Amino acid sequence: MDDLLAEFIAETREMLEASGGEIVAWEADPADRARLDTIFRFVHTVKGNCGFFDFPRLAALSHAAEDALADCRAGRREPDPALVSAVLAIIDRIAAMVDAVEAGEEFPEGGDEALIAALDDVAEAGADCAEVAEAPLHAPASALLERGEDAASPATRRTDAATAQRTIRLPVELLDRVMSGVSDMVLARNDLAHRLRQAGNQPTIDGPFERLTAILSDVRDAITRMRMQRIETLFGALPRLVRDLSAELGKQVMVDLDGGDVELDREMIETIRDPLTHLIRNAIDHGIEAPSTRLAAGKREIGLISIAARQSGNTIAIVIRDDGRGLDEDRIAAKALATGLVTPADRVAMSRDKLVNLIFEPGFSTAETVSNVSGRGVGLDVVRQNLEKVGGSIKVASVPGEGTQFTLQIPLTLSIIAGLTVEIAGQRFAIPQGYVEEIVQATPAALELTRMGEAALITFRGNRIPCLMLAEVLGLETREARRELTLVLLRLASGDLFALVVERIHSHGDLVVKPLAPAVMKSGLYAGSTLLDDGQPVLLLDITNIAALHNLVSDGRTRVVRPLDEEAAGPAQAAPRAMLFTDFAGRRMAVRLELVQRIETASASAIDRSAARPRLVIDGQILPLVGLPDTPPATDKLRLLRLGDGLCEVLQAVRAVEDAVELTEALVPVPEDPLIEAMTLVAGQPVALIDAHELFARHGEPPLAAPGARPRCALPDNEWARTILAPLVASAGYDIVAGDSADPQVVTILSEDLYEAAKLLGRVPAGPVIRLRDHPGDSARSETIYRYDRESLLAALAAVRTARLAGGQRS
Amino acid sequence: MSELLVIIQIAGRRCALSAHDVKSVIEIGAITPVPRAPDFITGIAALRSQTLTVIDCRRALGLATGEAPTDDRAVVVASGGHAYALMVDAIEDITTATGAPGQVPGGFGPEWSRAARGMIETITGPALLVDLAALIAGPDAARGEIEVAA
Repeated sequence: MDDLLAEFIAETREMLEASGGEIVAWEADPADRARLDTIFRFVHTVKGNCGFFDFPRLAALSHAAEDALADCRAGRREPDPALVSAVLAIIDRIAAMVDAVEAGEEFPEGGDEALIAALDDVAEAGADCAEVAEAPLHAPASALLERGEDAASPATRRTDAATAQRTIRLPVELLDRVMSGVSDMVLARNDLAHRLRQAGNQPTIDGPFERLTAILSDVRDAITRMRMQRIETLFGALPRLVRDLSAELGKQVMVDLDGGDVELDREMIETIRDPLTHLIRNAIDHGIEAPSTRLAAGKREIGLISIAARQSGNTIAIVIRDDGRGLDEDRIAAKALATGLVTPADRVAMSRDKLVNLIFEPGFSTAETVSNVSGRGVGLDVVRQNLEKVGGSIKVASVPGEGTQFTLQIPLTLSIIAGLTVEIAGQRFAIPQGYVEEIVQATPAALELTRMGEAALITFRGNRIPCLMLAEVLGLETREARRELTLVLLRLASGDLFALVVERIHSHGDLVVKPLAPAVMKSGLYAGSTLLDDGQPVLLLDITNIAALHNLVSDGRTRVVRPLDEEAAGPAQAAPRAMLFTDFAGRRMAVRLELVQRIETASASAIDRSAARPRLVIDGQILPLVGLPDTPPATDKLRLLRLGDGLCEVLQAVRAVEDAVELTEALVPVPEDPLIEAMTLVAGQPVALIDAHELFARHGEPPLAAPGARPRCALPDNEWARTILAPLVASAGYDIVAGDSADPQVVTILSEDLYEAAKLLGRVPAGPVIRLRDHPGDSARSETIYRYDRESLLAALAAVRTARLAGGQRS
Repeated sequence: MSELLVIIQIAGRRCALSAHDVKSVIEIGAITPVPRAPDFITGIAALRSQTLTVIDCRRALGLATGEAPTDDRAVVVASGGHAYALMVDAIEDITTATGAPGQVPGGFGPEWSRAARGMIETITGPALLVDLAALIAGPDAARGEIEVAA
């Protein structure tokens, strides 16, 4: 939340700076349409952003200014100098308020109404009302000064805020240069490492070289993070937005986010923030029906908006889908005819698909009522414009009564993605990890591989899945037929699943994706290239396009229409499957495949042994590590199985990962070893199956960073709690939620007197309560905590949390 | 007019590239082939952290590859924001142009004309000045244009 707030402040201030010139120019010539548009967009964006936060005053101000400007844009009103002054006064007030928000102070009450009234006054009275606008224009500044005298002077306050944040903005080009320099350094290091290995052990050189390696990997991580941001930072704000909007509009909407770990350029995230917000607003406002209408149509009462991000080399696809009423073809057609976008003859010849995509044309809006939510004027045409500016695209598909799906394609000039390297016909190719659902190894008979004409199908967990031979896709000659097939199951952003037959799986790893020359891109099979550790270039397959070339992409509503069927089909009837590995004691072990989230490789030096139990940081999460040998392993690289029970994750260190197998033989329980569920035979050899229940009971701890798994905390509804208490609580690992006294999982922080009041009314929250008092004294009354006693407050939060975890494990 | 030129040989002919376009001359290492790409694209190769698209210049002109070996060095050029490595017969020298590019009576022949900006006189004798973008576009690009014209 803190990050978001900082971003909101930075963005608003940046826009203020950028529009400073526009404002002055508009003042000089109020009839200038282009300037008007710019300023309109500014207040519109501020209004939109206020939707994320609880800033009713900012929202009211920007809404009022937007109203007035919208009238000008629509020609209902002539912009005159008085109006300009009134709008400028509001913009000044917004700037002052943003400063106050940043400093964590409350902005002096009052004055807003006068500013808003000034907008309307000038409409009637005309030019002489400039004075009305003049007075409030200076009011905030003086008010601020008065406040400043009794606290700190405004100037010092600004400096404090600046030191606290310490951020700078850099040209992306510079970052690019630094980044490619670091990439070159890594390659040079790898080369050096290779030569050192050839030269044998040289203690005097090995030490400094190890240090160089560690430093380099640190630098690389830092540089990467500089540019890249998980799309999570964008997704994080959406549930709240959806919740607030649906409450406002009297609808029930659930949001389903997928692909939050896709990383993209900070810049790109900023570019898509507004379009995404806009599309979600539209979906809730116009797409999802009221609960009663939904029930009548035979749908679930609660609407579903699902947002999925998938990366495919140079592009990221974001699919925003709702299961609402769909786009109204006739209304779009009528509007298009009325505005002269199409002729009646065109209309007859147009397919529905073409027609619905007209909504992106300038000046198109079918909304009958203008609401606070969907806004007006800044429509889908602007969304498309903004995306096209960065080389992206947007399209829409819709089925009446079933829903609407927007697909955004955003390019990446440079990105780092997790990828899987596979081999076919002696050549390696990379597949973005985001698509990989599962890796399967089995005989053709077990998969019931059948050829239907040119197509191939496999049966996996009772589903028939289309199957492509990578060799055929690429036109490569493969060697003799293999006894076993290695399949990569891929899921597209549209929800379609297909299998790709490869010869061998090589490794997982982070890939730096580079663009390919147009002549190579034209083949439609590749999305980019990347360099392996040994400096060899490999091609990154464009999974979406390959699937499209083979007609494997449905128009993508399968997932929304049948989410339950899919879940029901999950548990398989077939034999349990397990991942086979050798541990550091040399034993052959297996763990149920459902638990294996991923195979990771980590540097042995990254293990933190400071606590009783070793831990390792992966993807920004601290995870417990089991199965380490007592002596440090000889190799630097450590193979890990990342196991998860849905909430907790545990890393299992392994000497070697062998294979995924079916456990067809009988499972013989082993009561004497609690960590072993059973012994069984795999290909005639004994294998010990890990007891997952015991493993997670002993070592499992929910990852701190995982959203949703975090404990929730409700705060008092006042400015102090929002600006001062909330960051502290969030930093203790809590998600801040709106007060929900009925949920026993929610920790509630209340001030002493509020708690007393609640007790009297018999409305004490069901969950744990932490009570705060306003004065430091009387510490003897241990039931309350002084509100600035940081240690005690954190200790109390930690205690509640530990109690919760213990409770969670018992159940 | 004293533009610097890099003199190379393609299919036995002397050609000139503007030195402005040439980033470096490298010994080309392992080339990763690109399945289903046009045949004038030999593959991709790595130059430090950069990916180069390796172009077989003879095929890019639409000429038969012939038996003559190519130089094991390649010319690295940049065009349209991408880096390419040009496989040529030989890389001769860097020289200075002594005049502006001009045409020769009768033209250069259909394959060459597409990728030629004209004949250029240099201190070491005349050479054919290559139009880099046209060369990299490959022989199919020209065919497409002819179809459009027809």
